Parts: sequence; structure tokens; C-alpha cells
Amino acid sequence: MKSLRYILIASTIIIATACNKKLDVLPQQNITPDEIKTSDDVKAVLFGTYSLLQGPNGFGERYILIPDLIANNDQVDFIGTFTDYRDISRKVQDKTNVIAAGLWAGSYSIINVTNTVLDKISLVTADERDAVEGEAKFVRGVAYFELVNFFAKPYSAGNVSTNPGVPLTLNPVYVYDSTKDKPSRATIDAVYSQIVKDFSDAAQKLPETADNGRATKYAAEAFLARVYMNMGDYANAAAMANDVIASGDYSLSTSFENEYNNIGPTSEDIFSILQTSQSNAGTTNNGLSTFYQPQPGGRGDAQVDPAYFNRFDDANDDRGSFFYLGISIAGDQGIYTGKWADFYKVIPVIRLSEMYLTRGEANLHLGGVPVGGVAPVQDYNIVRRRAHAASVAAVTTSDFVEERFRELGFEGDRLWTLKRLQMQVGNRAYDDNKLVMPIPQTELDVNSNLVQNAGY
Amino acid sequence: MKFIGTLIMALLVASAALAQQARTVSGTVTDVKDGAALAGVTVRVKGLNRATQTQRDGTFTINVPAAGNTLVFSFIGYQDVEMPVADNMAVQLTASERNLNEVVVVGYGRAVKRDVTGAISKVTGKDVEDFPAPSFESAIQGKSAGVVIQSGSGKLGQGIQIQIRGTSSISASSQPLYVIDGLPIQSISQSDPLNEPTNPLADINPNDIESIEILKDASAAAIYGARAANGVVLITTKKGRNNQKTSVQLDVNDGFSNPARLRKFVDAKQYVDLIEAAAVNDGRYDFQNGVSGYPSQEAAITDYKNYYESAILDVYSLGTDWKNAKVNTDWQNLLYKKNAQNRQVNLSATGGDAKTRFFISGSYTDQDAIVVNNKFYRYGGRMNLEHTASDKLTLGIDLSVDRSQINRVSNDNSFSTPGQLVAQLPISPEYDSTGELNKNTLYANGLYDAKFNSDHQVTTRTIGNAYAVYTIIPSLSFRSEFGADLYGLYQEAFAGKETIDGQGIGRGQLTISQSSSYNTNNYFTYTPKLNTNNKLNAVLGMSYLQNDSKSALTQAEAFPSDAIKNLSGATNVTFSNSAGSRYTFLSYFLRANYAFADKYLATLSIRTDGSSRFGPNNRYGWFPAASAGWVLSEEKFLRNAKFLNFLKVRASWGLTGNAEIGESNFLPLYAVSNYPGLPGFIPSQLGNPDLKWEKTAQTDIGVDFGFFKNRLSGEIDIYKKHTTDLLLGVNIPTTTGYSSILKNLGTMDNKGIEFTLNSVNVDAGGFKWTTSVNAAYNKNKVLNIQGQIIQDAAGVERAVEGQPIGVFYMPKFAGVDKETGDALFIDASGKTTSNYDDAQRMVVGKSNPDWTGGFNNTFSYKGVDLSIFFTFVSGVDVYNSAGIYMSSGFGNGLDNQTINQVNAWKKPGDVTDVPRVSIFYSTGYKNSTRWLYDGSYIRLKNVTLGYTLPKSVLKAIKLTSVRVYLTGVNLLTFTKYPGDPEVNTNVIGNLGGNQDFYTIPQARTITAGLSVKF
Repeated sequence: MKSLRYILIASTIIIATACNKKLDVLPQQNITPDEIKTSDDVKAVLFGTYSLLQGPNGFGERYILIPDLIANNDQVDFIGTFTDYRDISRKVQDKTNVIAAGLWAGSYSIINVTNTVLDKISLVTADERDAVEGEAKFVRGVAYFELVNFFAKPYSAGNVSTNPGVPLTLNPVYVYDSTKDKPSRATIDAVYSQIVKDFSDAAQKLPETADNGRATKYAAEAFLARVYMNMGDYANAAAMANDVIASGDYSLSTSFENEYNNIGPTSEDIFSILQTSQSNAGTTNNGLSTFYQPQPGGRGDAQVDPAYFNRFDDANDDRGSFFYLGISIAGDQGIYTGKWADFYKVIPVIRLSEMYLTRGEANLHLGGVPVGGVAPVQDYNIVRRRAHAASVAAVTTSDFVEERFRELGFEGDRLWTLKRLQMQVGNRAYDDNKLVMPIPQTELDVNSNLVQNAGY
Repeated sequence: MKFIGTLIMALLVASAALAQQARTVSGTVTDVKDGAALAGVTVRVKGLNRATQTQRDGTFTINVPAAGNTLVFSFIGYQDVEMPVADNMAVQLTASERNLNEVVVVGYGRAVKRDVTGAISKVTGKDVEDFPAPSFESAIQGKSAGVVIQSGSGKLGQGIQIQIRGTSSISASSQPLYVIDGLPIQSISQSDPLNEPTNPLADINPNDIESIEILKDASAAAIYGARAANGVVLITTKKGRNNQKTSVQLDVNDGFSNPARLRKFVDAKQYVDLIEAAAVNDGRYDFQNGVSGYPSQEAAITDYKNYYESAILDVYSLGTDWKNAKVNTDWQNLLYKKNAQNRQVNLSATGGDAKTRFFISGSYTDQDAIVVNNKFYRYGGRMNLEHTASDKLTLGIDLSVDRSQINRVSNDNSFSTPGQLVAQLPISPEYDSTGELNKNTLYANGLYDAKFNSDHQVTTRTIGNAYAVYTIIPSLSFRSEFGADLYGLYQEAFAGKETIDGQGIGRGQLTISQSSSYNTNNYFTYTPKLNTNNKLNAVLGMSYLQNDSKSALTQAEAFPSDAIKNLSGATNVTFSNSAGSRYTFLSYFLRANYAFADKYLATLSIRTDGSSRFGPNNRYGWFPAASAGWVLSEEKFLRNAKFLNFLKVRASWGLTGNAEIGESNFLPLYAVSNYPGLPGFIPSQLGNPDLKWEKTAQTDIGVDFGFFKNRLSGEIDIYKKHTTDLLLGVNIPTTTGYSSILKNLGTMDNKGIEFTLNSVNVDAGGFKWTTSVNAAYNKNKVLNIQGQIIQDAAGVERAVEGQPIGVFYMPKFAGVDKETGDALFIDASGKTTSNYDDAQRMVVGKSNPDWTGGFNNTFSYKGVDLSIFFTFVSGVDVYNSAGIYMSSGFGNGLDNQTINQVNAWKKPGDVTDVPRVSIFYSTGYKNSTRWLYDGSYIRLKNVTLGYTLPKSVLKAIKLTSVRVYLTGVNLLTFTKYPGDPEVNTNVIGNLGGNQDFYTIPQARTITAGLSVKF
């Protein structure tokens, strides 16, 4: 029996020492940063940014819905009960507005991931390294462009070297350091420079075509066209738009209706967000189709303002009849746009028709020999013809503004067009304080280097 | 008293005279209850230093010197017996209950109550057996001071909240650790994450339980280290004994339940009157405020009246004659079963010979909840077996297997839940003119969901613990245990096409989860034989626990018909995921108990816990505790105080931890993103290598006393728990890409006092009346949460620094403007305002009680026994979160209204506390104290009347014992709350308690039972 005693004691010691290693347990549905080791791992992190762009704080909802709620006049009426959306559409949002906080945090989350990809770019195999770098810079450019649009005065308001933009963070955060991770706001000029640089690098490094809705050279150039339009740099805007058009990789969808609610990108989509039944921006409380689609599928909180129909000048214009009647979750009957009528469908972000309108408008501003050799009125008529609206003989800048409204309504374009041309937004001046989102109060609470926007 | 003393003296003198020579005496010691032989009973010659112990078969032989006249028999857990020396002595011992000799189970051992220096509450198996509820916690509610038990609703199988000495966490769990026969078990819901949590403890058959010990202070609990801060509940199951004749026991009972307390709603006539009143109010408001430009007030009222009648009353009455209340549907009535049945059958056997002891049992129970579609079933068995292989080695196993099933209803906050049927209008018929269930109700008719939805959760569970005890030398033994807790859950939910949740296409969900734990305890127990004045007992050991959890959730839609209810009928999967996690604990512990002269007691313990949950910088935590006791009644100056039998003061201090901080929370992590065609990673959290347990330092001072021959005994404890390192998500600049980081930063206090009193009021002529009372006061204070706003999901409760956790935080309702009927609130300057936006949100009440407790009276006379048990809770509020719909005068819809709305303001000058009813120009319809009530209550929790057949009859029918009984649960309730005050729509959690959101009330149950032994 004595031996039994020793066996017991020995086994206790063995159990105790063997167990020590058992305290190191790794999670089963997450990875730690140490596990990002290969080229594919870095690409997986890059792909994560598409998921964030698809989410409600990206193009899945707010990048597109919120500018239209701000510029809601004659376009969209928010009749839902969610107070944060309602406040924005009434321009009474305050500094605690959760949508502003979501846009801010969501965009910086995207930026941090792109910074991580760029930080680990050396792990990517040489043949893909440029493309991955370009893709990360494209996504970062998008996020900064949205941020500076939402949270800073428009570029057109001038004083770009003094007006505050948003903080520029270009390095990833792996461990929070309270002494250095409290950035202050860079100037609008600095932010725009970074955006132009990122998109330009992206345009240079990205391939001309790609699968799965991934960014291409032309997606970067199309965004650059938007950026230059905001900056009033019409020569570069026209050049970029022309480059996209001249590539020949894109063509307008055969009909206006066919451009929307598709399960894959169309020939017209220069950049778009994919969705499926298992990967989408939401079907109950979030997502474009949740708000823009009536019952029983969606909430139907975002209805078309009947005044929008006054913007059409031709009864045959397909875009003037791309609507249907429906009822909201609160029981209010109204008109709904056909653009976001179904769940799980592709969200067009930049379409070829916008490039025609951009090239045409930029050429009109420039005067002289048009970039690309196509007269502004021709570009204008290309877009109209596809929608079966009658061609016109001559165009003005305000014609382009109206045409953009007809073509790009409910796609988040209106506000930025009005702002860059210093036009009234409803009864407010283009640089009205309430047309700029507040820096989230929670952010100011933890970062004393930030200054709040005027009006909050 | 004097008489007995004289008698004993006389006996002593007599026996002294008889026995003048040394001689050898032998005999047998048995348990008076079942005649089982008692081994290890100390047999002592009174007044002389000579003693022996009984053998395994209960026999003893002792050499009694000439001077010895009396033998004293003492045994742990039994009352001492003194007998004059005689030949072939047959000694019977009686087990002590609520006695100082009582044995209590402690961590890794047992102790005698009188030697314990920590705060431990014991509940016996008797208190939990045959109780008509799925799990034992319901039965011990109110029975132990400082242990607050709340089953949040009358739904069966739901999670039950237990707080021992208050809440000591904000974002981690505040539920205690459960240990069954030495094995820590899974007690956290593994169920459908979209429904309310269920209770894994419902898999344990309450009738198998011998005793439940609740370790409350640090001295008792710190031996469980990092998992002990919320208290520890030790469950011990029934065991057989040596040389015990096999005894078989059959328990059956059958009963029925109905709601204990219902809210009152208006009937069809009153509903119509309210709509008419709204028309008058809205017409008046419209005219007076020039909204529509009516020519006169009368015209406005007539117009509103016509509109409401045609658009509301005509529509929802389906054209029936609402004017004469032709239809008067009591929708509340439709959500309850009438006399919901419950049944339990338990069959057990216990016994043993000289070497082997056993307890086996089998049980079946099915219980209908009072609410439709909700039912609980369980069947299973247990075998506890122990074998003495040799003088040195004992082997054993405690093993149970069970299957439980809950048929569930959806959570309180879903339109489909039966509880929300009360929102339907009394003018709406149950069936339409075609005889179908009415499809044109105000809200989609939940009766369709009741009819076409199903949600069945089946769990199978095996809990087993095998052990060996090896006695190395008589004073040193080694015990090794290996146990496993295997829990599997399979839940299928289906919503038919006709239902709200089915969305016209049918939807299904499958939840599978599995939690497997294994645990080993290995420890030495050292009990050296020192001299009579010094007693030492020490335990040194280690344990390792590993839990692996797996879960899978799949949601799918588009079923061809309702006939197929599992996912084989679904044609489109909308969500599918599987996940897993593991946690481990490696622990070492040491405890020493020392007693000097039975007067001075001391306990020291220390435990160190390492866990996979703690960051690398704090992988191991140390949890020391110390306590001391002084038995004053053993001191000379009190020994002669006749009224006093026992008096002990004790004090303890120690550190415990709360390790329920979640898995992998210290690691920087990336989660998987599922963009179509581009599977990727996105960052999900920043790491914090310092992350660790929440730490509670607890001080306890207590007194145990027994007066008047222990007829009045009790305990008083005061304690202070100071919790630091509370887990908080600390906001950081989101420009980092993250919004917060988990840190151990918060602090919180609990202070309280507990009283327990037991008394034998009458014990004469076969009539016995006993009373036991317990009461506890706890005061919680949140000291530091870094200034953050931490609130519950509904936004009505908060953690606020300087306040107890879970204070209700909302505008204060200040009555009704008698001119306009508007609701008034208190604004920032303390004045009243009718503008809700100007109302100041403030602390207006609290969700955790000041005082809790229970009092029990038992009466017995001959074969009849009666017990009457009340519980109470005071100094607490209940918020009716559904008040904004059901008691707001149509402020948030046309919902049927509670009866108090008939007292609403009607015309200028009316003085009332119910604002005007209005459909278009509502007032005071957002969260405020309008729906906050005093939630204190006293409840007649349990009345049991039993009759035990006399021995003469039993002999004739050849049975050992027969008892019949009748039990009533929740028979009476005294409260100011207009519904059932014992509700919590959030079931479990540190914030968000005591909210009633269409919550199902507790059941009032009447059960008749029979218990037979043979």
C-alpha cells in the first residue's frame, strides 16, 4: 500500500505541472494579430474593409442615406420613429447623435484596418503587393473622403488651410497609448491632399479590372473625379472622368431600371457593394433597403417627397416613374423609390452615368476644347437618352445640377453637389452649420485635442 | 428543571452504588430514524479519560473502570446521549437539525456548525423536495438570510437570479458558483441567444438533494478563490449508510396552477367610453389650439367622435355592436391555461452493508406553466455508490443522468409572445364571423402564434464524480476526485406562415450547444490527534477545471407548409454559424482550522487560481482569508448562566474574485467578416494583458447564540464587501479604430446585516410549534465607474456613482394639470412642466431591495403537521415598462388600457393623477415615474398540511412510513403593485431588474402528494 501513496503523490505533481500549459487558450472564432503571417492573411484583412464598407456605417446605409436626409428637400421624407435619423432630416441633430458617432467611428475603423494592411504590406507576395497596396489606399481614400465631407466645412467654403478637417491617422493602432493616440484635426487642405494622394497611388497601382466588386484603377479615378469636383479642380475632374469613360470597360445598363436590384455588378457599375442573404447591411433596423422599402419587407421610413416629381421635364423619362406605392411600418402610405426595393442586392456606389455628368459639367466650367473631345451637351444627352428623356440642344451648369438630381437621386449625391456649387440646401446656405455633422461628444470626452464644429 | 437534575443525580448515585468494579461493556449504536448502524461514534466514560469508537457495524466494546457509571455517546451531526452503563446497550442517536452539532458541508470537507467561523447558511433537502417548480432555487427563496432569489416570471425553466449579499459586479456575472458533490457545474444559460436565458440547474432533481450550503462570507468561500466573490452554493446529494436496511421511498404528487396575481384591464364598455373620452379631449384640444380650424368646439368633438367610431370602434369590433358591448373579449384570459397541471413521481432506494453504501433514484416530472405553450418535463436517475475496499481505501461515485425539455414561448419583447395579448381590444372578437381566429385585431393576433409556433428545447445532462479516499495514516488521508459535467442542448423553434414571426413564409431556427467540463480535485486532509485542548484540521490540495463549449445557430426561412417544423423544410438559410470556447482553471489551496479548548477557533485559508481568462500579466490570483471565533459560553464566567446554552462571536476577512469576465477578453482580436466572395478579418478588440478577475474584499462579524436550552437560537451577521477592479469598457478615441478597451477599473460596495432566529415556542403534550425568521438588509453603492453612463437596454435603469446599482433614472411625474389634463413633470429647476423635453431625468427609485427575508411557523400534533411560510421584500421599486402602452391613455397606440384609466382627467377642474386620454394630442406617454411603483410585498409563499399515519396502522399494512400532504404556493400577496411584483422581464443581469414588460406573473399552485417508505 505504501507504493500507492507514492503513486498518488507523484500523479498529483504530474497533473499540476501538466495543467500549467493548459492556461494558454486561444479563441476559436477569432484570430490574434500574431496570426497574420502570410500574404493571404494580409489580403484577408484587406477584404475585411469591404465588409465594413458594406455595413450600415458605410455604403450599406449611411454614406448614401444620410447625405440625402440632410438634403432632404424635394427628395426624401423621413417619417420613421428613429429619433436620430429624424433629427438629421430636420437638421436638429445634436452632438450626441448616434449616427454621427457611427459614421465617425465606422470610418476610422476602416482607416485603421487599411493602415494595418499597409503596415504589413511586406508580407504580401511581390506579384500582388502593388495591387494590395493600391486597394488599401483606395479604401482609405474613400473613408477619409466621406469623413471630411460629413464632419468638415465644404472645400468650396475656402480657408482650406485653416478650416479644421478631420484627424489624419496613417499608422495602425495595435496597442492603445493614451499619450499619443489623441490626434487633433488636420486642416481640410491636409486631408484633401492625403485623399488625392491615396486615390492617385491607388489608380497607379490597381489593376484595370478585378473580380468580386473589388476596387480597380477606374474606381480610384472615378472617386478622384468626385474629389476634384469638390475642390473645383475641373481640369483634373474632367480628365479622371474621361479616363474612366475612355477605358471602354464600362457601358450604361440597357435601361435605367436594369441598373438596380441586381445580384451582381452591372456593366455600368464602376464601384459597387455586394450583398447576399447572409452578408448584408441589415434587414430589420439597418440597411438602405430596410428604410427605403415599404412593408412587409422593410420599414418604409424613407418616403419620396412628391415635390421630387416636379424636377422631371419629360413625361417619358423612365427615372420619373421608377417609383411605387407602399405603406410604412407605422402605417403611413407613401411613395417609394425603386432603387432600393429589394434586400440582398448590389448597391451601386459610382456609376458610369455620373462620369458623363461629371465630365460634361467640368468641361462646361472649363470652357474651350472639351476634355475627351465630347461636348458637355453630348455627355448630358447620353445620360438622358438611356432614360428615354428627350435630348436638349444646350446646357447650363444648373441643368447639370438638375440632371444629377434626376439621375442620382437617393444615391447620396445631392448634398455634395449643392455644397460644392455653393447652392442653397432648402432654405439654408451651403455652408450652414447644421449641414455639417457634430464631432461625437463621446469622442471629445476622451480626446481633448479635438475641437467641436460650429453650431454644436 | 430542578426535578430532572434531581433525577439524574439519583440515577448517578444509584448506578455508582451498583458498579463498583471495572468491567467490559458492549453494545450497538444506531440511528433512531432508520435503525442504520452508526460507525465512528465516540463512546466516552463520563468524567474519566477513557473512550473508544464504534465499529463499522455500529458495535462497540469499552472497558469501564470502577469509577465509571455513565457512557456518553457523541457523533458529528447527532445530539449527544448519556446512558448508564449496562450490558448489551442498545443506543439510539437522533440527528440534529438546526443544532450546533449539525454537520455542514464546506469547500473540500465538512465541519461541525459550532466550530465554524465563517458565514454559512444550510438548507436541508426537506425544504426542496416535492416543491412544484423545475429547480431547487425556487424552493429555497426566502429561507436563507441574505440570499435573494428571484424567478423573473411564471414561465417555467427560465433563468433564476440569485444574489448572495447583493450585486458585486456591473458587467460580469453576479451569480454564485454552484458545486455539486465537489464538482463545479455549468449554471449559465446555453440556450437560444435571442430568447430569455434558461436555467441549467433545472436538470438537477431537487428530490436527490440532501443539503444545500450557501457560503456567504470570505472565510467560507475564499477556498473557491477567483470564482467565489458572488458566493458559493454547495449541493450535496443523498448517500446511503453502513448497515442500513434497504429503504425504498415513493413520492408522488399532482397539482394545478393559476396566475398568482393579475393586472386589471378595462372591459369593452369601458374601452368604448375611453375612446369617446379621447374624442372629446382631442376635439377640445384641436379647437382650442386652432389645429384644424373648426367653427366650434362642439363641431370639433363631433367630427373626432365620428372619426374614432368609424376608424377604430367599427373596424376592430369587426362591425359587431360595440355600442352595447356585444363582444367583450377578455384577452388576458386567453393567454393562460386553466388549472395548468403538474405531476412528479420520485422513486428512490437507499441502504448499505458493512462495506458498501448506495442511494439510487429515478424521477419523472411534467409541469405545465400557467401561460399557453410553456411546459417543462424532466426524467432521469441517480446512483451514488461508495465502497470500502480496505481499511485504507474507499472508492465511490456520484452520478446522475437527466433529460429536460422546455416548450418555450418567445421573449416578453416580441409581438408573438402570449403576454402581449393583453394589448388587444376587448371589442375585438376572438373568432371572426367565419369561425377562424380573428385576423383583424389591432396587433397581429398572438393566438395564431400560440397555435402555429413551437419552440422545444431539450437538454441531456450527465453529472458524475468518481473519487477515492486513501487513509495514509489515521490522521492523514488523501482524496482524489475526477468529475465531469456534460450538458447538451438541442432547440428547435418554428414560426408558422400564419404567425407574426413567420412573416408569411414560415421561419425556423436550430440551436445546438454543448458544454463539457471536467474537473479534478486532489487534496490531503490532516487531522492529527493532539491533546484534548488542541484540535487541528488542515486541507492541502489542487484542482483543475476545463470547460469546452460549442454552439451552433442556424436560421432559415421559406417552408412549403407548417407540417415540417425542422429545418429540412426550410428552403433559404439566412444565418448559420458555429462557435466554440474553452476555459481552464488551475488552482491550489490550503486551509487550516485550529481550536483551543473548544473556546478559541481560528481558520486560515489561501487559494491561488490561474485561469485562461486572465491576461498574461495577471495569470494567477491569490485569495487569502482568515477568521477567528470565540465561544464565550465555554468561558467560566458564562458557563453557569442558565438561560444561555451557546454564544459564539466570530469575525472574518478575506479576498475573493469574480472570474466571469468572459473568454479571450484580454487578447487583441480579429473577427471574421463574410463579404461575398471575399472572406476576411476585421479587428474586433484591443488587447489588455493586465485584464483579470474582479476583486472583492469582505469583512464579516457574526454572533451565533442559543438560549433557554437552545429553544431560541440564531445568528446575526454584519458584513462589508468592497469590490474593486470591476470590469469596465473604457471609452477611447475611436480614431484608433476601436471605441473602448476592457479594464479593471470600477469600485462598488455592499454593506448589510442578516438575522436568523429559530425558536421552539411550544413543545408539550405532543404539540410542537416552531418559528423561524430570517431577515437581511443590503445596501449597495457604486463608487467609481469612471464617470461613464451605463444603462440597461431599455434606458430606464442606470449605474450611477454614489447610488446603488440599477437605479431607475427617468423624469419624475408630478401629477395632472387640472385645467388641461396634461401630464406634469419636474424640470431642471424643480418646477413642474407639461413639456416632456424639459423634464429632468433623475434617480427616482431602485431595483434592488433593502430588506428581504422569510418567516415560517410549523405546528405538529400527533401525525398532523402544518407549516406556514411567508416571504417578504421591501424597499424596492417595480417599473411597468409596458405602462407607456397599457396605461397611457392611448399615448402610444390604441392598446387596451388598465383599469386606472377610467379615472383619467375629463374636463377642466378635474383633480386626478391620471392625465387625459388622447389619440392625437397625447400627453405624458414617455417613460416617467407615472409607471414606477413600490414593489415591496409580503407573500404567503408556502402552506403545507401533512398527515403521517401512526405506527400501529403502518405495522398492519407493512410499511415504514406513509405521509399525505397538501401544499399551496403563492396563496396570498400583499403589495401596492397593480400586477405581480415578483417579475423581471430581463430575467438575469446586474442592470435592468424589476421591470415588468408584459411579464407572466408567478403561479399559484395547489399540490396534493403522497410519500411512502417501505
